[in-house]
Amino acid sequence: MTARLLEGSEAIAEAMIGAGCRFFAGYPMTPFTEVLEHMARLLPGVDGVCMNAESELEAIGMAWGAAATGTPAATGSTGQGLSLMQESLAEITLARLPLVVLNMARAQGDYFQATRGGGHGDYRHIVLAPIDVPEAVELVSLAFDLTFRWRNPVLVFGDYYLAHTAQSVDFRPPARADHDLGWALDGRSGGSGQAKLVSPLGGFKRKDQSGYNLATHYASCAAATAEMVAGVTPLADVGFIDHAEVVVVAFGTPGRYVRAAVRALRADGVPVGYVRPVTLFPFPSEAVARACEGARRVAVYENNQGQMIDDVRLAVLGRSPVDFIGGLSLDSSGFGIAPDLDVQVLRARIEEVFTK
Amino acid sequence: MAEQNGGGSVLTKKEFVSDQEVRWCPGCGDYAILSAVQGMMPDVVDKRENMVFISGIGCSSRFPYYMNTYGMHSIHGRAPAIATGLATARPDLTVWVITGDGDGLSIGGNHLIHAMRRNVNLVILLFNNQIYGLTKGQYSPTSEIGKVTKSTPFGSLDRPFNPVALALGAEATFVARSLDVDRQHLTSVLKAAAAHRGTSFVEIYQNCNIFNDGAFDLVAGKEHKTENQIRLEHEKPIRFGANNEKGIRLSGRASVEIVDVEQAGEENLIVHDVHREDPALAFMLAHIATGPTMPTPIGIFRDVDRPVYGEEMERQLSVAREKLGVGSVEKLLTSGDTWEVA
Ligand SMILES: Cc1ncc(C[n+]2csc(CCOP(=O)(O)OP(=O)(O)O)c2C)c(N)n1
Ligand code: SF4
Ligand SMILES: [Mg+2]
Repeated sequence: MTARLLEGSEAIAEAMIGAGCRFFAGYPMTPFTEVLEHMARLLPGVDGVCMNAESELEAIGMAWGAAATGTPAATGSTGQGLSLMQESLAEITLARLPLVVLNMARAQGDYFQATRGGGHGDYRHIVLAPIDVPEAVELVSLAFDLTFRWRNPVLVFGDYYLAHTAQSVDFRPPARADHDLGWALDGRSGGSGQAKLVSPLGGFKRKDQSGYNLATHYASCAAATAEMVAGVTPLADVGFIDHAEVVVVAFGTPGRYVRAAVRALRADGVPVGYVRPVTLFPFPSEAVARACEGARRVAVYENNQGQMIDDVRLAVLGRSPVDFIGGLSLDSSGFGIAPDLDVQVLRARIEEVFTK
Repeated sequence: MAEQNGGGSVLTKKEFVSDQEVRWCPGCGDYAILSAVQGMMPDVVDKRENMVFISGIGCSSRFPYYMNTYGMHSIHGRAPAIATGLATARPDLTVWVITGDGDGLSIGGNHLIHAMRRNVNLVILLFNNQIYGLTKGQYSPTSEIGKVTKSTPFGSLDRPFNPVALALGAEATFVARSLDVDRQHLTSVLKAAAAHRGTSFVEIYQNCNIFNDGAFDLVAGKEHKTENQIRLEHEKPIRFGANNEKGIRLSGRASVEIVDVEQAGEENLIVHDVHREDPALAFMLAHIATGPTMPTPIGIFRDVDRPVYGEEMERQLSVAREKLGVGSVEKLLTSGDTWEVA
């Protein structure tokens, strides 16, 4: 293992390049900015292009254009910027294009935005939520695999801690699958003599197949989404669930703190377990349900007012009560540094669930 | 406190200073602009509640906190749109927009040009520091070509906007440029902007001493200002230089040029006329400098009368009222075919 000490934003940038990313566009916003700055520094060295766009609207537009040529492309921002990207994100999905999108969010209030999508129409995105820098490196690589495998945007959901914490990372050369790029606007007509069209309104210029028929096109998009949702393996990290009376669910950075609190409680003999969804969409409902099977109560910690708890309730389906032990916690900067992320605080909240 | 309505204001600068702690870096040019605006406010409104400052996001956009008036600190780039709505809904209020070169020209560029095109009754102050201050120093749409920042480590490739030329191109009816360091000039430009009906666009060169220190030194600094400030004054021949030895005249090539006054003759210089309908000459003057590193015009480029958006809207409404009569909600809701349903 050749470990290197890297800050999350830099590790994510390197992981994207390692996964083949050759186009990146973004607009500065804390805590996402440094990812953009590292991409600006690193991409030219591998013949890639990084553009500091004039807003997130342009950033995703630029990435969309690059993606249409089959170039592995990514963009990103912070929640507000992601809000601006929603129209394009929805349409890129309907244009069936691969794109990796980062949200270096401020706390976890963007769970619904990420997993439900804030755009129009009938679309879904795969959403991956790393717990720390090494896992982010793995998931970024996975994101590029998935986005090309399914020709559907993939979101990586991080936060201030992920972007700004330095950890040792072991970069293994990613085993990259060869992706079929037959659809891409690559300047060739592939011998068919037919011009290609990449569009949210359909894939054909003439009335040869679906032609300009939105009913057919949207139906084929819906079928592709269904196939993707069924085909992607949901991932979860599960621990300490043997004879657990209470199981705590958390995702992303808070997962680290919850895991530490659970470990400490276990050391004191408290029967508490832990499960962390790694794919937020598709949600690992089965893994969550199985982990919570024997539990008397389920507790959910999120740094927001309670969003993922809906998915946990859907997974548990009334078999045990689900308590919310999270809540929005921010310091005065609002960037997502959470006073509540403290093992003692979390221990106390978990212990309180035992008294119910 | 007693605030007199009409018949002269009793307000002073002090009353426009809010109790908020000002959170700009020590030495930032924003302080001087804030002080100048607070100082001339008693000339603009006689009641603080009739004044609204609307900003987007950026260091400059923190401005409304520090004004003891109504204020909106909105979202990045959208202040001109928000101000358009506010000014049109309440034409009785005085509405000023505070924006930066990033806020107003990158993410908000679209909103900015359309507010100016409509000639909404607004004063728009664009604090140009040629950098994104708040996000810690990335190049902006006014940064010079080749600007090395953390997001452009090999130098930027983009040709910068000339904000004055952009405003003229967007049909703004009042366009001016001033400097953070020249209180007197800034105050006089702000007063003229306030007096203008319609959109007044003012670009203010503002030093960001943390991320882009000295960007305007060649024009604003003591050492070079006499040679590099071309002060535009209405109805006066355009002259500048330590001994007023240089001037501007029309060159034969549909452009303007800097000449030696003695050689060219004062009678051949352009006599500045802010009220000229055609913006072409103002546009040429705006292009005499490609950046604040050479002789650069400051002052009022254009000040013309055009119908104001809110007034036009009011006119349309009164015509509609005349034609259709005063409306009634009840009549509207029971208009057309109606059925009694048992
Ligand atoms: C949608 C969105 N994207 C990005 C940001 C981050 N951001 C805040 S201010 C700013 C640029 C500010 O530059 P400028 O307008 O020149 O203001 P200055 O700080 O220089 O006064 C950026 C990119 C944001 N607040 N919202
Ligand atoms: S970063 Fe620059 S513009 Fe912002 S407050 Fe500091 S000096 Fe002023
Ligand atoms: Mg700026």
